[in-house]
Amino acid sequence: MSSIGQATLADGRKIPYVITDNPPAGGMKYTYFSPDRSYVVQFFNDPSKVDMNMRSRLEAILTRYNPTLPESKGGAVGNDEKTAEYFSKRFCWPTDIVVYPEFGIVSPTYPKSFFFGSNASDILELKGKDKKSNWFTGKNRKYLNPAELGDFHTMLQTALLLSRSIRRLHQAGLAHSDLSNNNVLIDPKSGNCVVIDIDSLVVPGIYPPEVAGTRGYIAPEVVESLELPVGDPNRKAPNAYTDLHALAVLIYEYLLRRHPIIGPKVYSTESAEKDDYLALGPMATFIENPHDTSNRPADLRVTIHDLGPELESLFLRAFVDGLHDPDKRPTAMEWERGLVRTWDQMHRCSNPNCDYKWFVLYDLEHPVCPFCGTRIDDTELVQLNFSRHIRGQKGKWRRYSKLLAVNNTPIFGWHTKDNIFPDEKADKQRLGYICNYKGNWFLANEHINGLVSPGGNSVPAGSGSIMISDGVQFLTSNDEHGLLVTVSVKKLR
Amino acid sequence: MSDFSRRLPVYLLLDTSGSMSGDPIEAVRQGVKALVSELRGDPQALETAYLSVITFASSAQQVTPLTELMLFKEPQITAGGSTSLGAALKLLTQCINTEVKKSTPTQKGDWRPLVFLLTDGAPTDDFRSAAAELKSAKPANIIACAAGSYADTTVLKEITDNVLLMNNLSAGDLAQFFAWVSGSIKMSSKSLDAKPGEAMELPPPPQGFVIVP
Repeated sequence: MSSIGQATLADGRKIPYVITDNPPAGGMKYTYFSPDRSYVVQFFNDPSKVDMNMRSRLEAILTRYNPTLPESKGGAVGNDEKTAEYFSKRFCWPTDIVVYPEFGIVSPTYPKSFFFGSNASDILELKGKDKKSNWFTGKNRKYLNPAELGDFHTMLQTALLLSRSIRRLHQAGLAHSDLSNNNVLIDPKSGNCVVIDIDSLVVPGIYPPEVAGTRGYIAPEVVESLELPVGDPNRKAPNAYTDLHALAVLIYEYLLRRHPIIGPKVYSTESAEKDDYLALGPMATFIENPHDTSNRPADLRVTIHDLGPELESLFLRAFVDGLHDPDKRPTAMEWERGLVRTWDQMHRCSNPNCDYKWFVLYDLEHPVCPFCGTRIDDTELVQLNFSRHIRGQKGKWRRYSKLLAVNNTPIFGWHTKDNIFPDEKADKQRLGYICNYKGNWFLANEHINGLVSPGGNSVPAGSGSIMISDGVQFLTSNDEHGLLVTVSVKKLR
Repeated sequence: MSDFSRRLPVYLLLDTSGSMSGDPIEAVRQGVKALVSELRGDPQALETAYLSVITFASSAQQVTPLTELMLFKEPQITAGGSTSLGAALKLLTQCINTEVKKSTPTQKGDWRPLVFLLTDGAPTDDFRSAAAELKSAKPANIIACAAGSYADTTVLKEITDNVLLMNNLSAGDLAQFFAWVSGSIKMSSKSLDAKPGEAMELPPPPQGFVIVP
């Protein structure tokens, strides 16, 4: 049974929506779809919570803080068409405010890839359900068809895209306030994610929304102060730091398929609620805390150490140094950088049945997949070690990043200059690639301008290449942002 | 790696007395079916919720022991007999004592169970002591729903403070009730949050239902 309703928007336009019995509802809002399912109209479960703060917050979110609209169309300052287009895929950002029949919001329906299709599971009816991350990061995985599950490569990409989205929010001074498995939908098949429930953002200068968050993702300092009444000065409100806790939890879950804090330790036998309060609040302990192993599962096999030094150090900062000290948590930008660097060190597992299919090969002396224990069957590994100029000190270089290469590994702009970062603005054109020809390794130059050979000669774009072998050094560009590359070739058999 | 998530035990206490026969009991069967299917589609509920069904008529019986959702089989539910609410409450207490895991220093216990009680009449046995015990010891969060005009809400108030009144014992209202129960379970499995001792949050009851003050 359904009927068509008419919503009047703040600008006077009228749009239709389909009224259904028992519409899908979240903690704050319930949802109706448009007749063509291209957008949703959402109303609040408790209309009495709609106040001036919420209205002004939503107005700000729709306009001057909107990264999905270019500045020229009333969006965020400095936002161009390209970045607006990029972020409109990463956020399900509200587009309009509804004023009649009651206060509500209009948002685009998220892309089809974030809904399960009819082949998602043989045993569950999942068609049309949204892809919350805990379908993929825990024991529910076993109910899904393998084609839905993605692999370590796509999950790392998902983590990277999420970090970038959160970095964009934080850059503008916004905080999401309720990042969780429910509010970030993921598609492991393609390695994409979309952040939803944008209406409870924390906006600078506007009274923050009254959201507590979702169990398992609420920062310990917020859990600790939940028992204080709303309005108490000691009650901690969600902010960018609490987002950074939730972000780290999500990344950990994406990569290792387990929760970083919920472990075997029993904190109180008085009641489940008390135990949970201590476990996620004042006493929260990282299951991999190297100094306190009281919450460590006995059968922990793959650890953050297996994710390479970049991610290991970020996770230690998030869950050891920063768990109870919000200032010490890595920023979203640091996660983005760490994940990009880790991306360049991934290698395909040689075991066709490996559940993760990829792993971080950071130690060439030990080329073994940590997930399934298989040693890779490559005969040689090529690693490009990049160093950047230390400004003002001619001829001095500092280690910058690494790229693990196999045949056909692409070279992008960010591998050639230290002022190019692989973010939403970066040019994704391939500039060159690594290849193996008759047993020798080469860097083929397609579009790198200013590439310098080991002997100091210019290597023309389009036709030139550099033969690379162990110990060879060359410059990616003769300008001040060029990188010095030192090649290591490791023989494995 | 081992699983350290807690279970959320959910008990459905369903009145299957003679007055439920016909359309209402069929609606209850469909309701349980829809409830299970709805919960299986929610990843959080699927991970945490465990379901048991206790029916009561001339006597009370646990037709399905506490079972994880994927293994849950729909029970045979038939209507006939009187309304032994007291026996049902005693059985509930027993089931909670044996099925719900308590915390020990080495094992995480279950969440406080969630109980949904549906009845359309007045009890025909002695329920007072069992009700009083449940209300004072609070081994579970109990939500009682009085279905139709013959249900006695004052009786239910002796068991719990959370009492709903459904005006008609119609198939449509029963379907709405089960949809609301699944919404409540989903919400609880997400927001089982760290607020010791606070009143539980439930979605607003469906249209036509009244919260009995």
